[in-house]
Amino acid sequence: MACLSDETLIATNENSLGAIEAAQARDHLLLCPACRRAAAAFRLLDSVLAEPVLHEPPPRLVPQVMGRLFPALPRLTSIAAAVAASAVLLITWIYIYFDFSSSSLVQALRLTADGTSGWLAGVVKGITSVYDGALAAQKAGAALLRMLLPAPLGTAVLAAAVALAALLGFTLLRPRLRRAEKAAGSGSGPERP
Amino acid sequence: METDEDQVLIRRALRGERRAFEELMRKYEKRIFGFVVRMVRNEETAVDLTQDFFIKMYTVLDKYNFEYKFSTWAYRICYNLVIDHIRKHQAQVESLDDDSISPRDLLASDNVNREDGFRALSRAETRDYVWRVVDGIPLKFRELILLRYIQDLKYEEIADITDLPVGTVKNRIFKAKEILKQEMEKDGLLV
Repeated sequence: MACLSDETLIATNENSLGAIEAAQARDHLLLCPACRRAAAAFRLLDSVLAEPVLHEPPPRLVPQVMGRLFPALPRLTSIAAAVAASAVLLITWIYIYFDFSSSSLVQALRLTADGTSGWLAGVVKGITSVYDGALAAQKAGAALLRMLLPAPLGTAVLAAAVALAALLGFTLLRPRLRRAEKAAGSGSGPERP
Repeated sequence: METDEDQVLIRRALRGERRAFEELMRKYEKRIFGFVVRMVRNEETAVDLTQDFFIKMYTVLDKYNFEYKFSTWAYRICYNLVIDHIRKHQAQVESLDDDSISPRDLLASDNVNREDGFRALSRAETRDYVWRVVDGIPLKFRELILLRYIQDLKYEEIADITDLPVGTVKNRIFKAKEILKQEMEKDGLLV
């Protein structure tokens, strides 16, 4: 009988041959030292492969995945900034919506101006007229806003408009700032090779 | 690996328990990383790919069908991810062959004894030698050896993961073993 093929030897080791083929292979192995050696070599190979040499994953692997999946909460400074910005928006909205035209401080100033004469009355009248001007502008703006949009939506639109304007300003100014920075850098710093 | 235990962890992770998913990762990280690093033959790339795999697994965890074995499902995702990477970066992966350590370097070690003209390695040295030879064989054989022996999968499971017929899987694994045996004979490791 011819020697067993590698495939048959591997299948013999894996016990995956049919009953007749397995019996024939067993008989041949009893008689053929070369095939016995080859079968032993495949057995050694199988046993070594069954104990894989695994590379150790770095300890940062799992924590980094957790960090990417569940980003940490925002830092205290960002929370404080967000709270401050919200407070400014809220105060602006309250001021526009509830119309504080009868400020007690201005009333007091007006009474003082009525009761006095000379240069002090002039100063007080100047202050109150500036205040009146600002108040009129604010009233006109608030009326327009109230006419165009319901109050909370108006505030949101105002906030978005301010943010957009800031972004636009930053975008427009950035190249100039960079150019200025570069010019300052090349003027004073050492030359690069 | 205990499949029921995996499924308990998956259910907990799907309920939002982060620790359960972390536990699942800890359980599989060594085998997954071991597989990926031998596929791409670059440790940094393997770290990135293993992380990408776990993130992908988390995002599709709700699609897992509890009727099937979790490990096979996970290995399939991992295999596809790695194969995609290798296809995209074929040139880089191939060039690593030049830099990899030859298994023959191991035989130059002073610890290797010689008996009757043949080299006798310790069990650990034989393992190191064989696995280094595995690193050097062509990808189409290597991937199947890795799935069979690192991931401890059956031929049918490997066929399912790689979309190859079971017969082809068997033949390629046989062929891979023949290559490994020939290498060992060439190096005088087999009497």
